[in-house]
Amino acid sequence: MSDLIIPQAILDDIVAHARELDPYECCGLLAGTNRTVTHVYRITNIVALEGAEKLSSFDPAKAAHLERLSPSERAEIAFVMDMQDFSAAKKDIRNKGLDLQVVYHSHPHDPARPSTTDIKIATDYEEIWPKINLPIPAYLLISLMEKSKPDIRLYWIKSGAVTAAHIAS
Amino acid sequence: MIKVRIPTPLRPLTKGQGEVEAQAKSIAEMIETLNGSYPGIKDRLCDDTGELRRFVNMYVNEEDIRFLKGKETSLKDGDEVSIVPAIAGGSSCRI
Repeated sequence: MSDLIIPQAILDDIVAHARELDPYECCGLLAGTNRTVTHVYRITNIVALEGAEKLSSFDPAKAAHLERLSPSERAEIAFVMDMQDFSAAKKDIRNKGLDLQVVYHSHPHDPARPSTTDIKIATDYEEIWPKINLPIPAYLLISLMEKSKPDIRLYWIKSGAVTAAHIAS
Repeated sequence: MIKVRIPTPLRPLTKGQGEVEAQAKSIAEMIETLNGSYPGIKDRLCDDTGELRRFVNMYVNEEDIRFLKGKETSLKDGDEVSIVPAIAGGSSCRI
């Protein structure tokens, strides 16, 4: 699997998004052409909305854990994309002739690697992407564990297996 | 008949079925029909005002109903509806 070119300005924009929402998780999409990212789409994290955890593919343990937390606590350890925002982004990506390339989110308190939940949901979603006319994207994680030195990493997640990818900028 | 693809989180309501059939002329009617066969499914898909919840999307033959006519989108025999849960994820359970 080849890697992606993500210009520094785009990486800076994603870090700014993560910092704006810290200590809550941010999420969004990246799109572009020819393996080069050109556009950032910020998506609202609606994990705090009542019932959001029930219709996402969280495993029962994670869903039960989220239900025990307050709405703001939930947003520190999880994200659920607002599908209204997602639809608008998907439409813009199509209208501009771009390809969806990356799903990103931040880990305010944890390393920039996919959690068990991330891997499960990415794996569940593999069968959904083709049904909604989108390619299977790469996954980008931003860790804010070291506030002054955000760690950004890119992965491919296929059939439950995680492969690190290189970001050229 | 309309073919409806059910995502994993809703399958406990459809007795584990990933695909069900419904007779309906619109998305709104399809939701009512499904709720008759699988009670509780409407509440998971729609809010108190009957609007589609923000953490769910529906596609008719791969077209997003938010860009068709929403719940009034008409359906015809042979259409395929996919109910798609929101993309989600998160870090470890440390709280």
